[in-house]
Amino acid sequence: MTSIIETERLGKRYGRTTALTDCTLRVPAGRIVGLVGPNGAGKSTLLGLTCGLTAPTTGSIVVLGNRPAAGATQLSRVGFVAQDAPVYSGLSVADHLRLGARLNSRWDMSLAQRRIQRLGLNPAQKAGRLSGGQRAQLALTVAAAKRAELLILDEPVASLDPLARSAFLRDLLDFVAELGVSVVLSSHLLGDLERVCDHLIVLAASRVQLSGDVADLLAVHYRITGTAAVPAGADVIHTDNTAREATVIVRSTDPIPGADHADLEDVGLAYMTRAAEASVRIPLEAQR
Amino acid sequence: MIWLTWRQFRTQAVVALAALAALATYLVILGYQMRNAYATDIVGCQPADCVSARRDFADAYEVQVALIGALLIGVPALIGAFWGAPLITRELEERTDRLVWNQSITRVRWLAVKLALLILISMAVTGLYSLLLTWSASRYDELVGDRFGALAFASRNIAPIGYAAFAFLLGTVIGLLVRRTLPAMALTLVLFAVIQVFMPIALRQHLMTPVTSTVQLDEEAIERADFMGFDQNGARLDGYTMPGAWSLTSTSRVFNADGTPYTTEQTEQCRQSDRQTAMACTARQNLHFSYTYQPADRYWRFQWIELSAFLGLALLLTGFGLWRIRTYSS
Repeated sequence: MTSIIETERLGKRYGRTTALTDCTLRVPAGRIVGLVGPNGAGKSTLLGLTCGLTAPTTGSIVVLGNRPAAGATQLSRVGFVAQDAPVYSGLSVADHLRLGARLNSRWDMSLAQRRIQRLGLNPAQKAGRLSGGQRAQLALTVAAAKRAELLILDEPVASLDPLARSAFLRDLLDFVAELGVSVVLSSHLLGDLERVCDHLIVLAASRVQLSGDVADLLAVHYRITGTAAVPAGADVIHTDNTAREATVIVRSTDPIPGADHADLEDVGLAYMTRAAEASVRIPLEAQR
Repeated sequence: MIWLTWRQFRTQAVVALAALAALATYLVILGYQMRNAYATDIVGCQPADCVSARRDFADAYEVQVALIGALLIGVPALIGAFWGAPLITRELEERTDRLVWNQSITRVRWLAVKLALLILISMAVTGLYSLLLTWSASRYDELVGDRFGALAFASRNIAPIGYAAFAFLLGTVIGLLVRRTLPAMALTLVLFAVIQVFMPIALRQHLMTPVTSTVQLDEEAIERADFMGFDQNGARLDGYTMPGAWSLTSTSRVFNADGTPYTTEQTEQCRQSDRQTAMACTARQNLHFSYTYQPADRYWRFQWIELSAFLGLALLLTGFGLWRIRTYSS
């Protein structure tokens, strides 16, 4: 299986702030990858490193077999929509398509125009006057019509209302199937990604907490409620005592009789909570 | 990429063109006015009135020519601050760098095309203005003869073209380093102003080795000086200028033929009520003084040196900018 993204102890620091540390990942091709983590976890940094806007401080990253943004060919193979979907506010929708056509050798104008028409965007409208959802769609159209092999979307639904969110994701699924691209999309809400992604990366406290195909992850995580004992071979990820009955999320390669498989949201949340608690605990211990 | 550069720049280009058209109209009108005045008042002056006619002409147009020249020196500064500085910072601030740097074109090429196109426009706008002003003010310049003056030198002929290219690149590179529009604009203006002041008062005169020669204090030399003064060491001559040259000495000691200082007692011999007779008497005393200057025929060499130096600096900044944007990391 070929990997689209391979990182080795990848790290990025801004001055004394660590944005990402010790990140080693293998992302297989042909997946819709969900990158999830709380705000400030390092998601945008990882995506910036992947498309080459950001240079790593330590470690290495290889995307589609090359250094990110290594040249025009590499750039043409990776499509990127940054957080908040920036577009040129003074240029019209049609101008953006022309921009894409002028700057991309593999530009698919008919795809772009079809999408614009289907979304009901007025080609003469200035991009600065589009709504948040329309802007996100325009940016996605420019990235998609590039005919890249890998599409990276940073928080594509963050600025959309719940209705627009599900429409955007449904539409995304449709054309991913049509184009046959690999996709990485990030969100701080696992609920957004749960329905679309088949590979999950959980990022928290600047580190990768969990990564793998969704089916594999679901197969090894269980939820144990109440007073049931945790088996010896199982690894406790997080114990939630806030509910009436304590809930424990465990990882175990052996089946646990009587326990339910945890759903993706439980698993993601368990890893993020564990990371958050650990990062609070470490400074306290360091003081002693 | 050329299309995008033009699409993003066309509003500014139209503004610049409109301003240039307005200035051109004014310069052409001013040019014809001065030509007419010169032809009637100066060329056709009665010998007795010629000195005052020349003074009147210079007085009448001094302010206009100085202002329009100062504005021309300001043009490269404006280009640097308003075209150069925001070129990259505006993309960063509106986060469109993330859009445009992820198309199938490298950042180096993106910047190279932008720089090439906008440098040409900057140089064309400034050059056109400069040539128009040079034509318009030619009678005035001929009369006043101060071509090496800080203001006149920097606002005529080809030197401004170099300033425009340099200022534009300076703004762009500062923007790339500072990453924010307003500080980059301010810094560009300050730095360019410092260079424009430093150049004429400290640097330009050293670009070629000045000539020092001994000048005979004849009647013409006395006429070309502001005044002669005395102190305990003898006489000194203030403000002598060789025709068309750039004076680097403002005050010279006056000596006798044998090298001894010219004394107050000696002047008493030429104290006469009639100015012409007094001057002739002084000239007969066979006096001389030492004078350091850049000769008039070096004017064009200085213009070319200035143009090449600033184009060279612009080229260096271009190289630095392209290298910097390749390794740029957000």
